[in-house]
Amino acid sequence: MTNEEIMTAPIRWRRYFKWNTDHKVIGVQYLVTTFIFFLIGGVLAMMMRAELAQPGKDILDGAQYNAVMTNHGSVMIFLWIIPVFAGFANYFIPLMIGAEDMAFPNLNAASYFTFLLGGLVMMGSFFLGGANTGWTAYVPLSIIAPDGQTIWAVSLILVGTSSLMGAINFMTTIVTMRAPGMTFWRLPLFVWGMIATSLLVLLATPVLTTGLILVILDRVAGTVFFDANAGGDPILYQNIFWFYSHPAVYIMILPGMGIISEIFPVFSRKSIFGYRMIALSSLAISVLGLTVWAHHMFTSGLNPGMRVPFMITSMIIAVPTGVKMFSWLATIWDGKISFTTPMIFALGFISLFVIGGITGIFLAAIPFNIHVHDTYFIVAHLHFVLFGGSVSAIYAGVYYWFPKITGRMYNETLGKIHFGMNFVGTLLTYLPMFLAGMLGMPRRVADYAPEFTELNLLATLGGILLAFSTIPFLYNVIVSLAKGELAGSNPWRGLTLEWQTSSPPPEHNFESSPLVTSGPYDYGSAEGAQELLELAPAAGD
Amino acid sequence: MKERSILALVIITLVMLAIGYLVAINVDVMPVAASSRALLVDDLARILFGLATVVFIIVQGALIYAVVRFRKRKGDNSDAIQYRGNNTLELIWTVIPAILVTFIGIYSFRVLSEIEVHSDDEMVVEVIGQQFIWQFRYPSYDVRTQELHLPVGQQVRFEITTLDVIHSFWVPAFRAKRDATPGQVSELVITPTELGSYPIRCAELCGVGHSVMNSLVTVESEEDFLKWIAEQSGVLPTPDLEETGSIPAETEIAAEPAQLVGSSIFGRYDCGVCHVLDDAGGFGHVGPTLEGIGETAAAREPAVDARAYLLKSITRPDAFVVAGYSAGSMPQNYEDRISSEELEVLVDYLLTQ
Amino acid sequence: MGSQTSALKDHFRAGGELGINHIKLGMWFFIASEVMFFGGLIATFLNFKINSPTLEGELLDVTLVGINTFILLGSSFAVVLGLDAIRQDKPRQLAFYLGITIVLGVIFLSGQVFEFRSLAAEGLTLTSSVFGSSFFTMTSFHGLHVLIGVLWASRNFIKTLRGGYSSSTSIGIELFGIYWHFVDIVWIILFTVIYLI
Repeated sequence: MTNEEIMTAPIRWRRYFKWNTDHKVIGVQYLVTTFIFFLIGGVLAMMMRAELAQPGKDILDGAQYNAVMTNHGSVMIFLWIIPVFAGFANYFIPLMIGAEDMAFPNLNAASYFTFLLGGLVMMGSFFLGGANTGWTAYVPLSIIAPDGQTIWAVSLILVGTSSLMGAINFMTTIVTMRAPGMTFWRLPLFVWGMIATSLLVLLATPVLTTGLILVILDRVAGTVFFDANAGGDPILYQNIFWFYSHPAVYIMILPGMGIISEIFPVFSRKSIFGYRMIALSSLAISVLGLTVWAHHMFTSGLNPGMRVPFMITSMIIAVPTGVKMFSWLATIWDGKISFTTPMIFALGFISLFVIGGITGIFLAAIPFNIHVHDTYFIVAHLHFVLFGGSVSAIYAGVYYWFPKITGRMYNETLGKIHFGMNFVGTLLTYLPMFLAGMLGMPRRVADYAPEFTELNLLATLGGILLAFSTIPFLYNVIVSLAKGELAGSNPWRGLTLEWQTSSPPPEHNFESSPLVTSGPYDYGSAEGAQELLELAPAAGD
Repeated sequence: MKERSILALVIITLVMLAIGYLVAINVDVMPVAASSRALLVDDLARILFGLATVVFIIVQGALIYAVVRFRKRKGDNSDAIQYRGNNTLELIWTVIPAILVTFIGIYSFRVLSEIEVHSDDEMVVEVIGQQFIWQFRYPSYDVRTQELHLPVGQQVRFEITTLDVIHSFWVPAFRAKRDATPGQVSELVITPTELGSYPIRCAELCGVGHSVMNSLVTVESEEDFLKWIAEQSGVLPTPDLEETGSIPAETEIAAEPAQLVGSSIFGRYDCGVCHVLDDAGGFGHVGPTLEGIGETAAAREPAVDARAYLLKSITRPDAFVVAGYSAGSMPQNYEDRISSEELEVLVDYLLTQ
Repeated sequence: MGSQTSALKDHFRAGGELGINHIKLGMWFFIASEVMFFGGLIATFLNFKINSPTLEGELLDVTLVGINTFILLGSSFAVVLGLDAIRQDKPRQLAFYLGITIVLGVIFLSGQVFEFRSLAAEGLTLTSSVFGSSFFTMTSFHGLHVLIGVLWASRNFIKTLRGGYSSSTSIGIELFGIYWHFVDIVWIILFTVIYLI
């Protein structure tokens, strides 16, 4: 098929419902499945906001609230943000490095289906009375919880294993499958973000598996790891859990930062500022990210002498994060900015993420942390990072690559309405939570003192706005998929390799093997985009 | 040109410092400060807010300026002026944040060492967490209660433990919080400075009743405190926790009217934390209401009479679960905690409701 | 695109240029994650060993397990010899050494079962104490890895007999070798941590 034929061909739906080893099919499978889980997690969130709109017991009792809250957290983290980036990475890593597929196509498909199985098992546990201990599942509460907890823990092991398979595949692909001329210092920054992320997944996820296995053994086999009466150690669980779960925060944000780094140069018509610093800061965040876990335990039974070293490492992380922020600002500075939907989502990312980032420094300051730990201040902080940050980046990525994946343009007006609702909704939902937390409202409560009513009502209103913001998005996607105008191979005039092939790309991505002769963001060179690619000599010549 | 930009930089810096300072002295987002440590923490919070505002304005300001100033002109499809980096600039924005966080780190460390200083004349209060109530024991007075009273100006060392899962003892007005972890005694030192009553909340998810696991701390004068202690001494049993691990039942079921004894047993075992019963001060909504339970108990299970139903519901809470409530909410250990005489009296009392 | 052109194209790609086989690299990443998995178990064991020391360690039979350790080391050596053999296109020698590996692996597992049973007889079980819990969990997961290795070796053994390997197609043996050496090294660490210190 020629490019023209590919771009106008009808979508072949069936392959998305089967075992398919094409990384692009798997990427779409991941993106669509995770978005469905996002909607489920959103419904759970709205149930909580409805309960919390007014003090008193309204629609959920304590047990139901805890189950809804636990599954909201675990769905959003394990079935949405972490795997949705696996979706982007699947679709775009091979395209961006000029490969025809991933290094292990079958492992790739296996990773998707393991994820799907894990997701379904988690849903199953919810309907079987479910985990109700928060996604942190602290022992001994998670040891005495109902049977759904065991199934929930098994689902996390499955999802974690899927994420490991993905990481092995991404790393191997990036190291061995790069096209001729694609040196490490010519890798797009999204790929660098995935390197940093995959290393964290490889080193941290197995430790979560260990922890979950110990919990399951305590629950079903009668071991006494966490039973204080038999000499077990509940703090051990917290150490194991956060050894994974703090890096998990970076697993959830580094790929998003990579997407932002792709978008700014394209829509500013300007080279990224400080390419190597951005790439290296991702690695620095990864390495430091493995050394900060105990800052979640400043009020727990952690040895008090251990707190200060963890405060120091937590604060140091602000430095590479700051480097990224300032480099992005310098990238758009003096640029020629066009305000497409992906670009405004990326600008919104900076605006919202900086709030999450700064409050992160507040939380590293131990005396302040002791006051606000386990309160709504934390809820606000983590949502500014994960919703204001990661989800903004995900939306930015979806709009940015929508033309490439579907071959059609989305509707800009709807995209901008979506952005507006999402941005205002985020501020309205999460800003009041900072205040509620400082004033004394603990997190994970089904009910609260009347003095927090106004703040909670505001948050609920913001939540409603966020819920409705998905409507223009979904409408846009569905209508554009059917009737959107044809995008052509490179609607954004981008320089990275995924734009140098048809939209959607042909089965093996490139009609002939690309030869890379310059960097991914070399805007302003006289030749322009098209001539960056020369064709490799035909194989065997 | 160069002089002008230096001037602009100086002005911006001064304006930023002024804004940061104004924010720091005016910000008011914390609850009442009722302990000496609260004042120190609030000072730290002020500095954090001042610095954060400056960083926030710089980033958002630069963002907004760029968005307004560097728009693409219509029809202009050319690329922008290119520059790929600037070592001086990159060094500046690495070093300045590094200096800022170093400052915050050192300052936090100093506050931390100051708020955790012990003194010789500390009063020890044992804090015992349990699903879903707090208990307080004053070893020096041999008193055990469910609300906390503290003499103003007296340094207190809380020794925090739990009988079941992890709880977290938090007094927002004191800016103090510490987890109650199984198998550990955690310490927390504070000196209350302001008279008044302040909420105590559980900050670590501990089960279905997490949100009702609240209590009150009253800071009062030394005199009032001793008076209160004297009142308490006669009221509640004061067992030794280490020996029994839970509250033993040392009751004097004597000549008092059975009604009164029943309602006091109801209170002693905190039934009211989770069940509504006006007569005995029950207010909680974790479990079903017990108003009129004397009549409804008979109707709940056709095969079980009212008395047996109530007995079993207390000793085996999950045997019968009222629609709309969940199994596993109620502590399973009442059989060990309540003596059989007390249980009889309690059930008799409930049957009259 | 046919597989032949694919293979030729691979030559141009970074892996070919760097001399890295992608399957072997993937295996190494997998091993890295396994290291962290066992790291978590070892950290758990050490946490209890350091913070709540008990005398239960004295129930362990160091001599028996020491012999078992040498058996596992021997099996690793057999894999090295087997890989060497197939690189010289000697499949029958490879089959011989894989056979030895399987037998030694089975002996190791039997030794472990024997050890578990005698410890249980003395009252040390999975549920008896934190020492029991962490000891049995950690050694059982290692045992499970040995069992998987034995099954893998058996599959390779059959494939060898059917002439499935030669000097140019020995990657399957190499991968098994990486895995088996890893399982061996983990055991040496466990042996040191549990029995020697």
